[in-house]
Amino acid sequence: MTLLGALAGGFVGTLVLTTGLRLAQVLGLTRMDIPLLLGTMFTEDRTRASVIGYAFHFVNGQLFAIGYAAIFYAVDEAGWLLGTALGLVHVAFAGGALVNILLPAIHPRMGTRWTDAKESPLLEPPGFMLSNYGRHTALVTVIGHLAYGAIVGGFAAGL
Amino acid sequence: MRENGFAPIADYALIGDGRTSALVARDGSIDWLCLPDADSPSVFAAILDAERGGSFSLRPAEPYETTRRYVEGTNVLETTFRTAGGAVRVTDAMTLSPPGQLAPFRELVRKVECVDGQVELEWGVAPRFDYGRRHGRVGLRAGRVFFTERSQALALSVWGAEPKARGEVRFRRGDEALFSLAAADRQPAILPGRSDTAQRLEHTIAFWRGWSEDKEYGGPWRDAVIRSALVLKLLVYAPSGAITAAPTASLPETIGGARNWDYRFAWLRDATYALDALLTLECPSEAHAFFWWLMHASRLTQPRLQVLYRINGGDRAPEQELEHLSGYRGSVPVRVGNAAVGQLQLDVYGAVLNSTWLHATRHGDLGGETGRAVAKIADYVAKHWREPDSGIWEVRSEPSHFTQSKVMCWVALDRAIKLARDGLIPDHTARWAAEAKSIRVFVDEHCWDEERNSYVRAAGTRELDAALLTLALVGYDEPNGTRLRGTIDAIRRELGHGPLLRRYHGEDGVAGEDGAFLACSFWLADALARAGRREQAAELMDELVGLANDVGLYAEEMHPTTREFLGNFPQALVHLALINAAFSIAEAQGS
Repeated sequence: MTLLGALAGGFVGTLVLTTGLRLAQVLGLTRMDIPLLLGTMFTEDRTRASVIGYAFHFVNGQLFAIGYAAIFYAVDEAGWLLGTALGLVHVAFAGGALVNILLPAIHPRMGTRWTDAKESPLLEPPGFMLSNYGRHTALVTVIGHLAYGAIVGGFAAGL
Repeated sequence: MRENGFAPIADYALIGDGRTSALVARDGSIDWLCLPDADSPSVFAAILDAERGGSFSLRPAEPYETTRRYVEGTNVLETTFRTAGGAVRVTDAMTLSPPGQLAPFRELVRKVECVDGQVELEWGVAPRFDYGRRHGRVGLRAGRVFFTERSQALALSVWGAEPKARGEVRFRRGDEALFSLAAADRQPAILPGRSDTAQRLEHTIAFWRGWSEDKEYGGPWRDAVIRSALVLKLLVYAPSGAITAAPTASLPETIGGARNWDYRFAWLRDATYALDALLTLECPSEAHAFFWWLMHASRLTQPRLQVLYRINGGDRAPEQELEHLSGYRGSVPVRVGNAAVGQLQLDVYGAVLNSTWLHATRHGDLGGETGRAVAKIADYVAKHWREPDSGIWEVRSEPSHFTQSKVMCWVALDRAIKLARDGLIPDHTARWAAEAKSIRVFVDEHCWDEERNSYVRAAGTRELDAALLTLALVGYDEPNGTRLRGTIDAIRRELGHGPLLRRYHGEDGVAGEDGAFLACSFWLADALARAGRREQAAELMDELVGLANDVGLYAEEMHPTTREFLGNFPQALVHLALINAAFSIAEAQGS
């Protein structure tokens, strides 16, 4: 069990998660676009927003991997199964609070359920489990995060 | 005057907060309110069932006369009830929160002031959750009346009278009362204080005043244009930027008939008129937000576009009939959801590409990803324009080759060529130009009636269609050219009833007749102005502005002879058409 393994897993896991979500977009399963959502916190330019958003998401992937590693050390165990379980907790937090509540609260261009006629935000709020972005979004997001967790757990355990 | 508990549609005024809105009748009853959002189930729906729907009534307990107006430049309504003994003024608003204030999730405020003599006032708050299916529980907590149902709560605070769901109080000159109905959804209710509530009401008035004062329009019919802009702003769903077609569901196109549809969705068709109106009204932030919504909401299905989307961006709007509701004056079925979501309506592609072009003209940039998406939409049009569709009127009969749909496909390709020429989207001009030319040939050969000297509703038919007036608005032909001049005259002659126009002749797959479609009349005024027939346009516009209700609102339709409002109310498309027509006439007059 190594921190370096968890970080490598975090990188590969984020790659898989991001690519999976992009694939789901191309297949018409979801309008969820994590790089766009994150990048538009900093700029309105879609292209620049996507670039910034990818970078931001990879940094987040590493931060979460450190959190996973901390749990692995705490329970003195790592592996793809435990990683998958953490992925489930991770996605519940991400879809239920992080992206649903916290991101709209700090995002300067995103609406919230409280946004009223005084404002004209550019991005619709994601809703619980990002369901506003298409009815398959929750499923796609859950699968992506389970894969992320499994990869981080597997890499941390030295595969 | 109510008939079996139903007020005429023209008796209603709209208040709202950019997330949801309420209809207030002349007699002080709030008969429609959906919570927490415009497309959520209703808590007040007496407009669809006077007994089961639920309402918030507030009126003198003795005979009275009513006058009302919007507080100038706002979406705050002021109703004055005058009785033999005195007068009370009721100010109704859905409040907006000042920054930093812990305010209710949604709030309806009614302020009562006795301005003359003495008046006995009675009120009754009877919410019926989930379109009247559920009564919920009623109880008194913290000095408020709570109505609760599952995760929803409504807290009624009353100051200046007893905190009761139903009561009476005698007001004397100078007395004031304040009612606040605060909504909570999946959260604890925020219990407002009297001074905070009064402050929110003042803040709301100040916001709307400031917003409308920013609108620079010095042309004719200014009051009607500004009122339409205020209505439009109420119909913008602020969290996403989508524009709701109307805040109501199932107000009938024929009294007692089956043409009852839910309009609480965002139609892409309205996009082209909305962008045009928002940009000319100097509402750049609303226009920008709407364009972002448009491109984001349609992303799931691009390059294919749905006719409508949910205001939160969802792509499903399953239609269901609410059999427990009696319908407005017996007009059943009461429908929520809209089956038109699954139809092919080719005109929306022209609307979206035209909007993109209008947006790009103002902003000069689309961004690479949006540009590529727009080019794919144009490619889709080039491939599919030959297919029959359900057309702008969403007919439920067999799809047909509607002329207006073909022309809007031409518009889509024409705007794509212009965008490519400006380097804003990938350039597939050769293909688009060839297909645009083919559309022109098709329309010229199959959609023109030499004898009538008019374009016709669909290829191979002899029916007329008022939607053909939009050909003059989108630059398909010269508005004063022979063909459009003939078409305008034929439509006026054969579909007209004074200033009103029926939509079309012919079958549409739904039983019964509908009324005159008010947007068509404004399109006619617009087309006349563009054709250089300024006096006719201004004369028609004068008549149409006079057809609004007492607070300047229009329903979707009007009965051609009784002039009764019909259909969902107020309708964005009508108010958009009014704004655009006024601007066209002002431009033609050089004002």
